[in-house]
Amino acid sequence: MAVLELKQVKKTFGSGHKQVEAMKVTNFLADRGELIAIIGPSGSGKSTFLTIVGGLLTPTSGEVIINDKNLGDLNEKERSKIRLKEIGFILQASNLIPFLTVANQLKLLDQVKKENMTKKQLEELYEDLGIGDLRTKYPSDLSGGERQRVAIAKALYSNPSIILADEPTASLDSDRAYEVMELLKNETKNKNTTTIVVTHDIRLVDYCDKVYKMTDGVLVQEK
Amino acid sequence: MFLALNEIKKNKLRFTLIIGVLMLVSYLVFFLSGLATGLENLNRESVDKWKATAIVLTEESDKSMYQSSLTIEEVNEIDAVEIAVIGQINAVAGNGDQKTNVSIFGIKKDEFIMPKVTEGGVFVDDNEVIASDALKEDGFKVGDELHLSSSAQVLKIVGFTDKARFNAAPVLYGDLATFHRVKFGEAAEANKESINGIVVRADELTAITKNDSLESIEIETFIRNLPGYTEQNLTLNFMIYFLFGISAVIVAIFLYVLTVQKISMFGVMKAQGISNSYLSRSVIAQTFILAAIGVAVGFVLTLITGAFLPSAVPVAFDLVTMLIYGIVLIAVAIMGAVFSVLTIVRIDPLKAIGG
Repeated sequence: MAVLELKQVKKTFGSGHKQVEAMKVTNFLADRGELIAIIGPSGSGKSTFLTIVGGLLTPTSGEVIINDKNLGDLNEKERSKIRLKEIGFILQASNLIPFLTVANQLKLLDQVKKENMTKKQLEELYEDLGIGDLRTKYPSDLSGGERQRVAIAKALYSNPSIILADEPTASLDSDRAYEVMELLKNETKNKNTTTIVVTHDIRLVDYCDKVYKMTDGVLVQEK
Repeated sequence: MFLALNEIKKNKLRFTLIIGVLMLVSYLVFFLSGLATGLENLNRESVDKWKATAIVLTEESDKSMYQSSLTIEEVNEIDAVEIAVIGQINAVAGNGDQKTNVSIFGIKKDEFIMPKVTEGGVFVDDNEVIASDALKEDGFKVGDELHLSSSAQVLKIVGFTDKARFNAAPVLYGDLATFHRVKFGEAAEANKESINGIVVRADELTAITKNDSLESIEIETFIRNLPGYTEQNLTLNFMIYFLFGISAVIVAIFLYVLTVQKISMFGVMKAQGISNSYLSRSVIAQTFILAAIGVAVGFVLTLITGAFLPSAVPVAFDLVTMLIYGIVLIAVAIMGAVFSVLTIVRIDPLKAIGG
């Protein structure tokens, strides 16, 4: 069963002769356990795609369905709840809160999601991502790779069905970038989630099950 | 609370500065409130001690005891549970070393406004007086002879009583005959029926007297009409109210600057689905913590300062008033945080993640 489905989704900005079609009519399907890459140059519409899928941007037309829920039928509060419970975000410059230790970054999610992980699950998460020794450290004490691993841990916390990663390796050197992709691949398979990685780095596509290319708002499957 | 506490813990210096500012504002508010209470007491404590309902003065005196002139016989026109006559005159009294303004009250020993003696004894003979213990701090003592500026009479302090100041002057309580001698000199005998007012305890103010030339004035109204009393209170209270406003603005500016610095962080959190209400509660909780600590430290500091102030400084701390002002300060600080909350609500998560 599809975790995420886009039906005839289109997004335009502006109106009249200033109208820009950022994403042309798009159909898209993602299943559990899939690691999907969306590649394309800057300004191709990748971020528009990601923000529509993440419920942050409303499409001009079409339907975005996450686990049988049509985002168009929900209000902002309900969409916010979907983002919190069903989607994990990994952002370009990591999404860590500067004044929280690694342990507290996850504890915050405990508080807001109200779906506490068991101690065993939490330990597994720390172990899988190799961040067990970083619990008491603040983001400023971490390297770029460590920060991104903690960001992945946050995204995976309490097993969301979709992980949306926006240029997750942009600030990393090649070795760290491959390490992060390897991690995302493993977690996608182990936790049976759907991971969509938006990137302009074509070296990362080898890790992905499916690859889509976005060019001028048109999404085409390449792999 | 979780976010609020952790942020304070991580950025101790930044938040210590905010607490410091709040502490200084609350210190000033508490100190001004102490000064206001102290100055109020300076004017009214002897009157409060009577525990009276009203004072009867002549209608034409415009609520001023000094300007009112009655005769003892007019007591017969008063209907009250308890009645006490009073004569009053202001003077400068000196014991040879010290001089001070005093208010001399002529009373009857067996009536309810007779003060309790805390040191020495009560007046028995001519020209003996019980003095306010405020005079002790100026170097006066039992047995001192007081020479008056406006009279040839010499008074003798036979005892002291506490809380006995009227219109910023220490009170000397003597019998009516002593008062008459001070006020009228050689004409005392001819004016032996003269008094300034009649203090009463009554159930109903309107039923005290039916004499049109007399006016029953509620004690609070009488005090408010003391020269300078209302003006002084208004001035100090305005300063306190302005400080409430200033503290709200200070907190609003500090928190707004902090919030603006964290816009992208809040945006990312909102993108992740963390609700506006959670983030707003966190800012409010943080403000509460900062304001509560600032106010508590200001409170303690005020009390410590008060303990070391010379007695000449008219400061009296009323804990209930201070508690209310403390709560108001915390409340206005939280109101100041509303701007930050509005900023958070308006943050577009899309912009924060670069969409």
